[in-house]
Amino acid sequence: MKNVIMLTLVVILFSSLQQSSAKTPESSDQCFICHEQLGGVADQFKKDIHFQKGISCSGCHGGNSKSDDMETAMSKAAGFIGVPKGDVISQRCANCHAKKEMMEKFGSHLPTNQFALLQESVHGQLSINGKEKIVQCITCHNAHGIVSVKNPASPVYPLNVPNTCGKCHSDAKFMQTYNPSLAVDQVAKYRTSVHGMLNAKGDPKPAECASCHGSHGIRSVADTKSQVYALNIPETCSKCHSDAQYMAGYKIPTDQYAKYAASVHGKALLVKHDVGAPACNSCHGNHGATPPGVESISKVCGTCHALNADLFSKSPHKQAFDKEKLPECETCHSNHEILPATKAMLGVDKEAVCSRCHSESKNTKGYQVAKSMRTYIDSLDASETLALKLINDAEQKGMEVSETKFKLRDAHQAILEARTMVHSFDEAKFKEVVVGKGLAVTKASITEANEAIDNYFFRRYGLMVSVLIISLLCVALYLYIKQVEKKQASKAS
Amino acid sequence: MSVMKNIFKKAYDYLDERLHLEDLVHFMGKKYVPVHSHSVWYYFGGVSLFFFIVQVTTGILLLFYYKAGPDLAFESIQYIMSKVHFGWLIRSIHGWAANLFILAAVIHMFSVYFEKAYRKPRELTWVTGMLMLFLAMGFGFSGYLLPWNELAFFATKVGSDIAGAVPVIGEPLKILMRGGPDVTGATLSRLFGFHVALFPGIFTVVLGIHLILIQRQGISEPLEFEHLPQKEKKTMPFFPNFLLRDLLLWLVMLNLLAILAVFFPAELGHKADPFGSAPAGIKPEWYFLFMFQSLKYFPAHIFIFEGEVLGILMFGAAFALWLLVPFWDVKTARGEKNRFITYLGIFAIMFIIVLTILGWVL
Repeated sequence: MKNVIMLTLVVILFSSLQQSSAKTPESSDQCFICHEQLGGVADQFKKDIHFQKGISCSGCHGGNSKSDDMETAMSKAAGFIGVPKGDVISQRCANCHAKKEMMEKFGSHLPTNQFALLQESVHGQLSINGKEKIVQCITCHNAHGIVSVKNPASPVYPLNVPNTCGKCHSDAKFMQTYNPSLAVDQVAKYRTSVHGMLNAKGDPKPAECASCHGSHGIRSVADTKSQVYALNIPETCSKCHSDAQYMAGYKIPTDQYAKYAASVHGKALLVKHDVGAPACNSCHGNHGATPPGVESISKVCGTCHALNADLFSKSPHKQAFDKEKLPECETCHSNHEILPATKAMLGVDKEAVCSRCHSESKNTKGYQVAKSMRTYIDSLDASETLALKLINDAEQKGMEVSETKFKLRDAHQAILEARTMVHSFDEAKFKEVVVGKGLAVTKASITEANEAIDNYFFRRYGLMVSVLIISLLCVALYLYIKQVEKKQASKAS
Repeated sequence: MSVMKNIFKKAYDYLDERLHLEDLVHFMGKKYVPVHSHSVWYYFGGVSLFFFIVQVTTGILLLFYYKAGPDLAFESIQYIMSKVHFGWLIRSIHGWAANLFILAAVIHMFSVYFEKAYRKPRELTWVTGMLMLFLAMGFGFSGYLLPWNELAFFATKVGSDIAGAVPVIGEPLKILMRGGPDVTGATLSRLFGFHVALFPGIFTVVLGIHLILIQRQGISEPLEFEHLPQKEKKTMPFFPNFLLRDLLLWLVMLNLLAILAVFFPAELGHKADPFGSAPAGIKPEWYFLFMFQSLKYFPAHIFIFEGEVLGILMFGAAFALWLLVPFWDVKTARGEKNRFITYLGIFAIMFIIVLTILGWVL
């Protein structure tokens, strides 16, 4: 019986050695030989890319993998550290992954800056216990079953990324210990987005978390170096959306970025660096990115242009647009290539957007209103230009007209207000702003500037009179002195 | 005409009966002004007085509307310039008369210096005159800040910083000028007080002494004129001849002021912003420019001294020597010609002109 048991053990041991030597070149890895018998992590490790590359357990855990004596193999003298904890985990990975020569030894061309990037990232900050970093390599990549990112089994394979990130980011209890104000519904929203739905269908190309946020070097959205910092968003989105080859098959244009960059919004954000200006996500959403529907366009634009949206929704155009299924704001202003609104858009000229639907024979009421509105705004413009010219004239003449100049700002304000009021498409309301506010100010400014110019000439004429009077007095005094001295001379003689 | 004469005569008789004006007329009638090739310089004292009177008059008128304080000063000046009837004229005349006052006073001072009119017995007249010149500069410095515009603010900052560099008394002097460590609203209130109360008070007293001394001692004669025989001395009566000529010149000056005020009105500038950066090319008023420019040429260190401090001390010493010239110019006091004094004066004028031009151009 004893012999049978011994024989069985020898056979099992031999067969396991056979199996090991068949799967890995490191058949002499004594750690694996024993741990395989115990099952668990060794089974996972068999699938691990590191195991396949011949890296022993001791590569991470330390110890002497060549020794079959457990005490020698797992001794401190042999460098055995047991289960790595805290920052030691990432440090063990970095021992190879941060060294180019080491990676090349195993035939890998992976970048070697992941560890450095992780340390600089928001995940590289200290965790709440103050002893270790928030995220270690294994948090996302797992520990013993690490496979290539291209392998669908990898937790960082594009289809798995949302759930991997969501392990922490969708856990409200966990997240509130780090950032209580950060939302935890990103994954849920993502699943409603076009990106998320395609991802769920098994398409690895659409954007997932790492596509926009990066992988190892993830930074806070407020960090100017972050790919999702307001100024960087258009470029981040354009990496895919401007790539015609990459986007082939999705049947959407790839010129949005070019159009956006030339738009009033794009110039404000990309040229003037106004972080308050809208980027792609302001209209499309970020995690729940989706194109706004026809009726929701005014709601999207209205988040910033609240008054315009409100006036539009109360205007007769609302119903007409809905009936014709016209995309509200976009119909007149376009979408990505929104240009600065000028008075040329208003009226019945060829360039005016009103004339696309209104003419003398078609929709005539709107035609008349558009024509009148344009006349009002033209007269305010002309009046403002005249007032400015007169104020400049007065200034050039050295007159003090700063108060008038300041007052004229109200006229410009009225022009801006009129641009908003035009969305009511109500002639009376528009007239009240343009004539009641704007023209009243420009007329007062013109009067004051003219007074200043008149005063300038009054000063010149006044000076002429006073110089004449004083000069006459001088002459009179001179003659008087001569007279006095003549009398004195005649008295003396 | 005869009616008017009658009224004047009656008024004169009324006053004469009570105040004995006849004595005064007699006293003035006996005063004579020497007539020689340099007589023209005698008029600059009177011209300075005229500008001072203009300053007092226009200053009082401006006070009706001016409001001291960082929130009100600039706005009140803006109001004076745009809304108050003839406010622009009064302010422009005040600005121009201030400059012409100092110019006339400087010419008057140099004419007295070159004529050596400061010699015994007129030492005190010289000292009071010099004190008034320093006070006039004080008027200029304190008045410059009152419009509370950008230029005024930073010029005051630079000016008080220079004063602060004087060893020992510099820092307390700067705090006294500023009413604190920085130029603030407290500085404005303080300089306003100096400009409209303290300086005019002191000036009036010193001016009174100066005029009394002149009336008491009469007009100084040049050294050469003194040695002439009495018969060869040409003179003119102070009253009415010299006084009427003075009046004529005053009218010419009034005309000049009106023309300058209309064609080159005082500017308003931009309101001072203590947190803003100093505009480029900050320069003090022209009468401080030669000192400002000279200090730039001093090296950072001369032996163990700081260049700027040494420069300020040198100017201080030069002004002190100038003030005390009647007391150390013993040669002139003895009635002898002192060419050193003349050369020193020419050097001073050349120095001031060259440095002022450099300061203006560079």
